[in-house]
Amino acid sequence: MSVNVGNVKDINENIISSPPTGIQVIAREFKKDKLAMFSLIGLVTVILGIYVAAFFLDQETLMKVSLRDKFAEPGDKFFLGADQGGRSILAQLILGARNSITIALSVTIITGIFGIAVGLITGYFGGLIDNIFMRIIDFFITIPVLMIIIVFVVIIPKYNVVTFIFIMSAFLWVSTARLVRSKSLTESRRDYVNASKTMGTGDAKIIFTEIMPNISSILIVDMTLSFAGNVGLETGLSYLGFGLPQSVPSLGTLVSYANNPLILQEKWWVWLPASLLILLLMLAINYVGQAIRRSADARQRLG
Amino acid sequence: MWKTILRRVLVMIPQLFVLSLLIFILASFMPGDPFTGLITPESDPNRLEELREAAGFYDPWYVQYYNWIVNAAQGDFGKSYTYKIAVADLIGDRALNTFWLSLLSVVLLYLIAIPLGVLAGRYQDTFLDKTIVLYSFISYAIPTFVLSLIFLFLFGYQFHWFPTTGTVDIKYDQGSWGYIWSKIYHMLLPAITYAILGTTGVIQYLRSEIIDSKSMDYVRTARSKGIPIRKVYSKHIFRNSLLPIAAFLGFTITGLLGGSIFIETIFGYPGMGQLFVQSITSRDYSVITALVLLLGFLTLLGSLLSDIIMSIVDPRIRID
Amino acid sequence: MSKKLWALLVILLAFMLVLGACKGSENSSEGNTETTPKETEKEKEEKPEEKTEEPAETSEFPLIVDNEGEAIKGGTLKVALGTDSPFQGIFSWVLYEDGYDADIMAYSSNAIFATDGDFLVNDKGIATLEVDQANNKAIVKIREGVKWSDGEPLKIEDLILPYLIIGHPDYQGIRYDGDFQNIVGAVEYHDGKADTISGLKKIDETTLEISFQKLSPAIFSVGDGLWSYAEPNHILKDIPIGQLLESDAVRKNPVTLGAFKIDKIVPGESVQFVRNEHYWKGPAKLDGVLLKAVPSTSIAAAIQSGEYDMTAGSLPATKYPEVKDFDNITILAQPELSYSYLGFKLGKFDTVNGISVMDPNAKMGDVKLRQAMGYALDVEQVNEVYYDNLRSRANSLIPPVFKSFYDSSLKGYYYDKDKAIEILDGAGYKDTDGDGFRETPKGEKLEIKMAGMAGDAIAEEMAAFWMQNWADVGLKVVLSTGRLIEFQTFYDKVEVDDPEIDIYMAAWGTGTNPSPAGLYGKNAAFNFSRFTTPELDALLTAIDSPDAFDPAFRANAFREWQEYMEENAQVIPTQFRTAIYTINDRVKHYDVNYDTEFDLNEVELTADAPAKSTK
Repeated sequence: MSVNVGNVKDINENIISSPPTGIQVIAREFKKDKLAMFSLIGLVTVILGIYVAAFFLDQETLMKVSLRDKFAEPGDKFFLGADQGGRSILAQLILGARNSITIALSVTIITGIFGIAVGLITGYFGGLIDNIFMRIIDFFITIPVLMIIIVFVVIIPKYNVVTFIFIMSAFLWVSTARLVRSKSLTESRRDYVNASKTMGTGDAKIIFTEIMPNISSILIVDMTLSFAGNVGLETGLSYLGFGLPQSVPSLGTLVSYANNPLILQEKWWVWLPASLLILLLMLAINYVGQAIRRSADARQRLG
Repeated sequence: MWKTILRRVLVMIPQLFVLSLLIFILASFMPGDPFTGLITPESDPNRLEELREAAGFYDPWYVQYYNWIVNAAQGDFGKSYTYKIAVADLIGDRALNTFWLSLLSVVLLYLIAIPLGVLAGRYQDTFLDKTIVLYSFISYAIPTFVLSLIFLFLFGYQFHWFPTTGTVDIKYDQGSWGYIWSKIYHMLLPAITYAILGTTGVIQYLRSEIIDSKSMDYVRTARSKGIPIRKVYSKHIFRNSLLPIAAFLGFTITGLLGGSIFIETIFGYPGMGQLFVQSITSRDYSVITALVLLLGFLTLLGSLLSDIIMSIVDPRIRID
Repeated sequence: MSKKLWALLVILLAFMLVLGACKGSENSSEGNTETTPKETEKEKEEKPEEKTEEPAETSEFPLIVDNEGEAIKGGTLKVALGTDSPFQGIFSWVLYEDGYDADIMAYSSNAIFATDGDFLVNDKGIATLEVDQANNKAIVKIREGVKWSDGEPLKIEDLILPYLIIGHPDYQGIRYDGDFQNIVGAVEYHDGKADTISGLKKIDETTLEISFQKLSPAIFSVGDGLWSYAEPNHILKDIPIGQLLESDAVRKNPVTLGAFKIDKIVPGESVQFVRNEHYWKGPAKLDGVLLKAVPSTSIAAAIQSGEYDMTAGSLPATKYPEVKDFDNITILAQPELSYSYLGFKLGKFDTVNGISVMDPNAKMGDVKLRQAMGYALDVEQVNEVYYDNLRSRANSLIPPVFKSFYDSSLKGYYYDKDKAIEILDGAGYKDTDGDGFRETPKGEKLEIKMAGMAGDAIAEEMAAFWMQNWADVGLKVVLSTGRLIEFQTFYDKVEVDDPEIDIYMAAWGTGTNPSPAGLYGKNAAFNFSRFTTPELDALLTAIDSPDAFDPAFRANAFREWQEYMEENAQVIPTQFRTAIYTINDRVKHYDVNYDTEFDLNEVELTADAPAKSTK
């Protein structure tokens, strides 16, 4: 949930001397950094596991309220206990994590596509288009995003997961666009672009076959980190009660039970697993992102 | 320099205008109005209509917008429907609370982050460095609300080290030392939480700056002149690395304002973030609109401040 | 390799620290009383079974508590105000709107009347009431020698002032209503045609005569426009009405008549009261009262650790399971003046003519369907599991606390799934397309949209449970707008007859005057179901007619009305509520009876600090 995503400047300690091709460098970086490797493998396993498990679970039956199982302790009936409505925590963890990941992924993809497109085009063409988009981007930067998202969530008349994804996406594409713009701005001034231009290569081709691959590792880093940010934002909003509708399982909703100190103290099974899961997800995604970032930095220095 | 600042300020005006329009439109879409909550079997629906009429609910939207923006420009955001006092007065109190909390947080943040960053940079790749990097990593990844809840529980409810409600103990008279200390004491737990969550950027930045400057010419020169290593660090490297940190200030402040929604809500600290969440639930439009506008304005100011500091510190970065 | 190892180690350590801290604290709190936790655990296991056989009665809870111990001299009563937002701090009975302010003001009360168990004015207060039914007049007499907290004597002008404030054209509050206009001359004064309200007449220094357009039995429970609080004329007379709300006399140092007076305020957070030396029943034994706002989620923890002696106002019933095992408090309970209900939308409000118009084609128009939905709700289980029977299944729209009008012999609606199914089968609701849900007798799909209110800690679970109950009898019910609706928006939508709403679950506070005309009459905007018939109007008129001054006539009129409502099921009462109060063991004596003569000036403490719970 940290606010200053992107301000973290990392330095490269592992100087890699082999010629750069994105995936290879990244793979090499992961091989070198065992923790990153561990994170990546863990992350992939957990995400796959969650999706497979969720596939076999029926949300409707599992979200059935069973009053007499209110706050049931972990045991035979519920492996991880039950919440206030007598619903299995384990099932909610799996479904909630799946929802969080799906939402964060959707938002990342939507904002990624939009942000990269805007960034590449404005950065490459410059001039009027760039000016107009920069004004728009500048405007979005003045917006207190969290607040506006909350306002939107409150006023939407028909509210569901899809609208939630679109509300989040509408305000989160800006930083990607800004980053991509600045990178493609520098790239498009480089010799190889000029050479292509003089050879009469089309703009679209230059953008997508020449510039984009050259900034691809930065794009991957940005997407990874914004994925982590989106997981944090979704769970945070759900925690505040402005995220997923309450009947939809969510990690944030589970954590919000801990607002009550007595539940926090005596009924750890309600909130702790969800908190740990969020924390581990965030750690793993960030760690993977950092590893990719390091490899990206190396390439830039050498390139 | 002054010219560019002036230009930046001028650019802010249309941005604020568009923001205000957006906020106004959003507010007009909000379901319910502040009077619907007042109904009881005894209250008279005609009376509610009368009150709605008087509040200008039935004017055309551009009249409402015009009235709102003209008054807002003069610092008059209307009256809070919930608290029945001027929005400016209401936000004024809360903004002051948030300001003090942010200030204390920033101070703590730098108190924690600077030594850690310097140590990590100086003893690069040692166990100490790795621990610090890992700490900064975890504090970056941990969601605000999880850490806040745990801290509130441990240090507030379990050990009773810190008060868990209010901003000041009522027994002190305003202005006395006891009063000031009581205020700080009430802010300390949220401020520490805040600070811990925000240290990552500064630590990593400082660490890499110091590592970079180790190989800089001026350090080498100083070293070759026989200046002791301790002095090189305190006189040269530290000072050079610290300046850019100042530029973080603007971003840190805007970041804090965003995070205040979580921190203040969880710690029950009556600042702007908590006020925002409450106003959303009570449909207190005048307060919501004013808060979002104010936050937008502060965000602008923050980035302007950062740019200015940056351009002073590092003339290579020009304000565009 | 080592990198990975130490990293993992640190992460694990960090978690274990957190976990260990939680665990450790549990141990430490258990360590004190080694045997008790086991017992409570046992209880927990056995309880559900016991409960189903023998539901707890609200009468199990005492209304009075007496604690052992020698009273200390003076002392400060610590009071927690459970609220998630800072209180508003409008300390004026004519202007306040938030219930929390009323809870705070209770300690410095300006009330002039005292009421008995039926909420009728008796002669134990500052003022007495005499009603001249023939001439539509009320005569209010005040005791001599009563003083304001600043030492000024209470005068008749102080009784007249609140009327002049409420009726004033500049008055911004909500209390200028139909009832108020019942006072002769109130409308003229409000419209600026008169300088004062002609129906208010000062007879002598202790007597006020008020003339009304018409009188109903409600006058005895301070209805019909009668006002039950005094305002200090000597302070407020110089402040323009329009500026009262912001004035220090309302916000900072209100002058009052109660046992305590406000000494200091931290806006929105805490209020310090000190003893009112001029209190007419004699100065309080306590030095003062310290009231603090506490977030509702942590209030139970605060009570447990002995930070407070009691709560201002009652504790939400959903908190009961959290506090019931604490051994530092006594829990008192008192029936509430309110009921929860399920409402069905049957028409629209014609705003031009100000009347409810029924829609003959309304989705919920079939009375059989409504009745079946009433029987399908397992309110009993919710009451037992979530409220520990602090809420009970309501059998009518009159809470039992109105002893003269409540009729326990009414059957009302109760959980009977088979009966619900039987009614639906009989009325032709059959599942014709095999999707598990019934279609209408005409064979159309039936999807009922329910509006539910957000906010309560268990609101979401309850809404889900109700929908399951209905699904069990084959009715498909979904949430309007796809989620629970926040309080203000909820009423806004219900009020304008939003087509998204077919049924809604809400609650009414009845106030001390149980007359239902304002909620179910043809002209009542709050008749949210929009159900109206000539028969119903006749029944409602009878309740407030001049004949109804005869208690037997009124009781009968209430009974007939309740039966009619039950039969037509346009609203189905679901729950009666009980308010609970937690009183710390250091409070020597406390009493929450409605007709108690116990007053705050008699409160005493037996220790310097509130007791802590060992559990």
